[in-house]
Amino acid sequence: MTNFEEVDHGTHVVLAPEGKFNLVAAPPLKARIDDLVAAGRIRLVIDLHAVDFIDSSGLGALIGGLKTARQQGGDLRIAAAGNQVRAVLKLTNLDRILIPHATIEEALHDW
Amino acid sequence: MTGEGTPGEKAYELEGFAVPDQLDAVHALLAQAARDHPALDPMDVMLFETAIIEIANNVVEYGRPEGEVRWKFTIRVREDEIEAELNDTGQEFTPAQGAVMPGEEAEGGRGLAIAEALLDRIEFERLDDTNHWRMVRRLGKTPEA
Repeated sequence: MTNFEEVDHGTHVVLAPEGKFNLVAAPPLKARIDDLVAAGRIRLVIDLHAVDFIDSSGLGALIGGLKTARQQGGDLRIAAAGNQVRAVLKLTNLDRILIPHATIEEALHDW
Repeated sequence: MTGEGTPGEKAYELEGFAVPDQLDAVHALLAQAARDHPALDPMDVMLFETAIIEIANNVVEYGRPEGEVRWKFTIRVREDEIEAELNDTGQEFTPAQGAVMPGEEAEGGRGLAIAEALLDRIEFERLDDTNHWRMVRRLGKTPEA
């Protein structure tokens, strides 16, 4: 089951999961990231504005996607994370490599 | 056992199968408790929710026989703490204590470390073929995150 929107902007692709980004929702999004990167779409933004809860599976999908994209010379950036997502990123120290950009525009700054 | 609690204390209970679809019911149970206790700091609720879902995930993912494990959640809100009890019928489980937060590159292994960081007490006991978890967060202190 996919529970995310995808918009291709040419230079980058925005994926927007919604609701609980958890052990149910994370694997299909990670699979889609892998497919996109394999197809050469290596600049990805994960728009988290509609995510109200993330668990360790969701974090794992973001980290896995980041590694996959960087291995191909691209990047994965996150935007518009809510309070719970920001709190968990900070707690796990993942905000150092998954910098929570306030907006998609900010995430795109040098692309 | 934790006894009957203080007079007037309400317990929020949920029983069912420990399967992915039931995680939403755990979120809903805590949301109901929070609605009934408007004085609860939303930050405490949010961090407690984050912790207990990681423990619930653990039972859903590793409890065997897969799809047949039953669980019972009980949430209690007290003046100074919020508590969740989780009893599950999965196989005997030996939780690692003092979980270390994995490094930035790790794609897994954060669940228990997150729960431990956000809870003041996390107790585990195997009794009568049932795993008993007790998770407590004290209220009104400076949040960790």
